Amino acid sequence: MSRKWIIPFFMAACLPFLSGCWSSIELKELAIVSAYALDKKEDGTYVGTFQLINPMNVPGALQGGASGQNPSIATYTATGDNPLEVADRASTIVSRDLYFAHTSLLVISEELAREEGLSSILDAMERGIEFRTTTKIVISRDVKAGEFVQVLTAIDQVPAEKAIKSLEFTEELYGENIATNLQKFINAAVSTGKEPLVSGFSVEGDIEKAKTMEQLQSSDGSATIKVNGMGVFKEGKLVNWIDGEKSEGTLWVLDQIRQAPVNIDWENHEDAISYKVVRQKTNVATKIKDGKPAISVHIRAEGDLRVIEVPVDITNPHVLFRIEGALQQKIQAEAKAAIEVAQKTKTDIFGFGEKLHHSEPKVWQQFEKEWQDVYFPALDVDVTVEAFIRRTGMRNNPYLFDLNKKSE
Amino acid sequence: MEKAKISTSQLFIVMILFQLSNSLLIPLAMRAGRDSWLAILIATAISIFLFFIYRALYLYYPSLLLTDYTEKLIGKVLGRTLAFLYILFFLYSAARVLREFGVMLLSFAFPETPLFVASALMILVVIYTIYKGIEVVARTGELLFVVMLMLAFFLFLLIAISGLIDISNLRPTLEDSPKILKTVFTETLYVPFGEIIVFTMIFPYLNQAKKLKKTAVAAISITGVALAFTTILNISVLGVPLIERSLFPLLTTIQSIEVGEFLERLDVIFILALIIGGFFKVAVYTYCALIGTASLFNIKEPSKLAYPLGITVLFTSMVIASNYSQHIEEGLNAFPIYVQLPFQIILPVFLLFIAFIKNRKK
Repeated sequence: MSRKWIIPFFMAACLPFLSGCWSSIELKELAIVSAYALDKKEDGTYVGTFQLINPMNVPGALQGGASGQNPSIATYTATGDNPLEVADRASTIVSRDLYFAHTSLLVISEELAREEGLSSILDAMERGIEFRTTTKIVISRDVKAGEFVQVLTAIDQVPAEKAIKSLEFTEELYGENIATNLQKFINAAVSTGKEPLVSGFSVEGDIEKAKTMEQLQSSDGSATIKVNGMGVFKEGKLVNWIDGEKSEGTLWVLDQIRQAPVNIDWENHEDAISYKVVRQKTNVATKIKDGKPAISVHIRAEGDLRVIEVPVDITNPHVLFRIEGALQQKIQAEAKAAIEVAQKTKTDIFGFGEKLHHSEPKVWQQFEKEWQDVYFPALDVDVTVEAFIRRTGMRNNPYLFDLNKKSE
Repeated sequence: MEKAKISTSQLFIVMILFQLSNSLLIPLAMRAGRDSWLAILIATAISIFLFFIYRALYLYYPSLLLTDYTEKLIGKVLGRTLAFLYILFFLYSAARVLREFGVMLLSFAFPETPLFVASALMILVVIYTIYKGIEVVARTGELLFVVMLMLAFFLFLLIAISGLIDISNLRPTLEDSPKILKTVFTETLYVPFGEIIVFTMIFPYLNQAKKLKKTAVAAISITGVALAFTTILNISVLGVPLIERSLFPLLTTIQSIEVGEFLERLDVIFILALIIGGFFKVAVYTYCALIGTASLFNIKEPSKLAYPLGITVLFTSMVIASNYSQHIEEGLNAFPIYVQLPFQIILPVFLLFIAFIKNRKK
């Protein structure tokens, strides 16, 4: 071979490698998994249910959003000894490669979370190449995880997306929930001074009907997916649920409130005044008092008055100060109740231990080992609240005020 | 030595890209935990002293390579043996970087491709570049540097926007100060900072010898600050326990980015940084081995050595470890102390001492 042919020869020899087809998979051989649900069978094996997107039935932009005649998802169930084996078995049923890079929701059944915990499951997800650590984790409450992902949803075509959106909305509008992803969960679980929180979901209505197209053919549907409480984890296992006002209190302390409403009683009227938080900041300070750790939580809230159901003269600043005082008491009570519950279950969901570690690294070493069981439950927590009413909406005094004058 | 010249700005860029390379991607100084960024800054400061040792040697013999003046300093037999050992050291270092590059690429992007194929493609590009000589390496650097700058800027912007930074992850600082110094002297000082020893093979090509000090000190400090900054970013986004479990923390940080529900899964940034960095370090190391060999064995056309040396690096990278854990273990516990410490610090200091005595006699 003459010298001038060597370089063209080399270039030609590179071609088969450079085309990048080594481990290529055609799109039609992939099944995109939108949600992965894990249950546990009595014999100890895992049951995985995969919510796959059925691309033919998800209306694209060209179709103008008209939904198809068939469900936009398909679900498959398989069993195995670990999450990976479950996925491999499912592949054989689906006859396509399960593709996890777009999995946005991991659903764990309450039973599995309580009895076995998440520690043995999450390693497969974290180690895997496709699975993302930004995938959200939720617990299916009073319903099998597998059934939860089979429920069809009307407005959002993909149920996993709908679940995540409602999670984010409740977090933002009600401050009763928290969107935890894999990474946050593992970080909190391995930390000695913090325990993770995971949102719960439940299904209300007739699940069997909700799996069929009947669900989408009526305006109210047969069943709805609802966010329901927050699960508290300890050593990777679900130990307790936090619901309602207590979960709001928890989020106040966690500095996670964004727009939560706060209702207060006024002159014998229950929930007469409603206040909407616009801005919130919680500072947690730690100090050592007589060799024991003490925590002070300072909550500062700013917001507007939204609903006033009693005649109150809010043009008078003194009255507003009194309302602010009532708000402060209410928020303080919620926060304190949440802390007490956490202390009772011996789980430091607020990360007070971590804060102590940050500010007093030397002292922390002596508390670290028994923090969750001995020191946290006995912790002296002081909660102070500052609430400010910045605006009162588009009106000053409520019209009830005038109504009352009329009747007098 | 080939007849070539590089400018100060080219040297500056080559030094920065060379040092950033794989250090940007692997967990750096993680033995110091939360304070790893401090360890990096301390190592940067010390490595500037190291640079002055290398520079002092260069000033005694401004037109000679490291592998040439060892012969002048400690005699023909010893000097040539030492030069040969240095060449082996460069080749081995190149092989290590190539292995890291290959494994990183396979473990998250091409799981089914054999390591040999990924490494072979990279080494083919390296062979071609060093065949063309140092000027081409430097000019490639100028081109890639712009890409790297843009990536860094884009990445930082996205991380800042997505609100992932949690500064409290950095606290408490200075929890265990002796551990920081221990990390500096057993690990961080040698990788990447001590690796500038290879530039004793490149300094003679510089067209303005007077500006060497300014250029190199600036390059080393900027690299140090950039690495410390990346580490701070990683720690504040991921937290220390997660970094300790990650093989490639920067990749995990990039994967955490979620901006506006569509700017996510930005792994391609990592792949670009990986390929640019991996290419550059392997190319510089192999090139230095090449000119060293050429001058040691009086080979008239150094570029002819590109193929045999490149293929040596490729095969060495395949056989140095049977798995990645072993590779990392060697890189953390054996290589720095038993190889890099003597080659990067003890021998240069010893050579400088002899050069000082010899030149005083004159």
